[in-house]
Amino acid sequence: MSEKTEAVQMENVTSNSGSLSISKFHAKSHFWGRLTLWSVIILTLTLPMYLSFGLGHHPGWNVILTGFVAYAAIVAVVWVVEPISYYPVLGVSGTYLAFLNGNIGNMVLPSAAVAQEVIGAQPGTEKGEVTATLAITGAAIVNTTILVFVVLGGSVLLTVLPDNVLVAFDYVLPAIYGGVIAQFAIQKPSWGVAGIVIGLAVNLGPIPQAFETFLCVFGTIAACLMLDKMNKDKKEVA
Amino acid sequence: MSEVMELANSGMLWAIASVIVGIVFFQAFKFMSLASKASGSVGMTKKDVRAAVRTGAISSIGPSFAIVIIAISLISLIGNPVALIRIGIIGSAPIETVGATLGAQAAGSELGTDSFTKQAFTAAVWVMCLGGMGWLIFTALFTKSLGKIQKKASSTPKRMSLFKVVSTGAMIGAFGYLGTSQMIVGLGASAVLLVSAVSMPIIMAIAKKYNMSWMKEWSLGLVVLIGLILGYFLG
Repeated sequence: MSEKTEAVQMENVTSNSGSLSISKFHAKSHFWGRLTLWSVIILTLTLPMYLSFGLGHHPGWNVILTGFVAYAAIVAVVWVVEPISYYPVLGVSGTYLAFLNGNIGNMVLPSAAVAQEVIGAQPGTEKGEVTATLAITGAAIVNTTILVFVVLGGSVLLTVLPDNVLVAFDYVLPAIYGGVIAQFAIQKPSWGVAGIVIGLAVNLGPIPQAFETFLCVFGTIAACLMLDKMNKDKKEVA
Repeated sequence: MSEVMELANSGMLWAIASVIVGIVFFQAFKFMSLASKASGSVGMTKKDVRAAVRTGAISSIGPSFAIVIIAISLISLIGNPVALIRIGIIGSAPIETVGATLGAQAAGSELGTDSFTKQAFTAAVWVMCLGGMGWLIFTALFTKSLGKIQKKASSTPKRMSLFKVVSTGAMIGAFGYLGTSQMIVGLGASAVLLVSAVSMPIIMAIAKKYNMSWMKEWSLGLVVLIGLILGYFLG
C-alpha cells in the first residue's frame, strides 16, 4: 500500500524538469559505479606491475602467491560477506561508493545512518538510499581531502620528527592488534581466548611460517564454530 | 631501508596515487549530482539534499582524524603514495598493515627493518593491492545481483548465522596470530599490546556510558596514541 503511494508520488515528481526517476538513477549508478571501480582495479594492478617489471624489483610469483594466499585466508570471506551484509543499508549507489572508499564500519555507515535520521528516511527505502548516497559523498570528499593533506604533510612530519619519536612508531602494531583483539574478546570472550591460545601455539610451535596464518585462522574458525554450537546446545538444554 | 623509502616515494608511484585519488573524488561528485537529480522522485527537497550531504561531511570528520592517525603509522612502513592508495580506497589501516606484513614475510623480510628490501616492498605492494581488489571486483560484478543474494541469505537464517561465525572467527584468528607474534617480539611490545588491550574496552565503555559516539570513532586512534606515548618512554 505504502509502496503504491510512493510510486504515485514518484510519478508526480518525475515530471519536474532535470530530475531522474529511481530506475534511471540505478541504471546510471551501475554505469558510473562500474566504470570507476574497474578503472581503479586496473590502476591498482599497474602499481605492482610497474615495480616488478618496469623497475625490475620482481620478488617472484611464488613469494607473491604465498603472501596473497595467507592474506586471502584472512580477508577472502570478508570480500563477499561485507557487500552482502551492508547492501540493505547502502543500496546500489551506496554500495559502489562505500566499497571504493572503504572505512565502511567506522565512517560510511555512521554518516549514512545519521543523515537518514536527520532527513527522516527509512533504511532500505528509495528515499533512504538517496539520502545515504548523498551523505556518503559528503563523507568521502571530507575524508579523502583530510587524508591527502596528511599524507602530503605526513612525510615532512616524518623528516622533522626526532629519532626517539620515530622509534615509538615501532609500537603502533602491538597497539592496533591489542586494541582490536580486546574489542572482539569483550564481545565474545571465549572466542577471543581461543584466538590468542591458538595464536600462541602456532607462533611458538614448529610450524613453517607460510602456514602459520592459515593454521591460526582456520583453527580459530573451527574453535568458534564449536563454541557457538556448544553455546546453542546449552541454551536448548536450559 | 632509506633506499626502499626513496623507491616508495618515487614520482611514478605519486602519479598513480594521484590518478586513483582523482577517481575517488570524481565518483563522489558524480554520485552527488546523480542522487541530487533523483532526490525529487523520492520526495526530497533541495534543502533535504544539502542537509544529507552536510550531515555526511560532519559525521566523517571524527572518523577521518582517527583514520589519519593510523595512516601516518602506515606511511612510516610503506611510504606516502602507497599509504594514500591503500587508505584512500577500500581498506582500513589495520588490515592493510596485515597485508603489508604478510607480503614482506613471504619475501623473508620484516616491515620497518633492514631486511625490507625493494623486492620485499614490491611483494608487500602486490599482496595489499591483490587483497584489496577482492572487494572492488566483487562489488563491480555483483552489486546488480546483490539484492537477490541478500533475499536468499536471509531466507535461511541458520546459514547466515553460521557464515557470520566463520567470518568473525577468521578475523579473531588473524588478529590472534598477529597479536601473539608481536608478543614474542619483546617485553616492550608485549607491554604496549597489553595496555592497548585494556585501554580499548575502557574507552568503549566510557563512550557507551556517556553516549559519546565520537569517542567510539576515536577509539583505535586513541589506543594507537597511547601505544605511541608508552613506546616513546620505553624507547
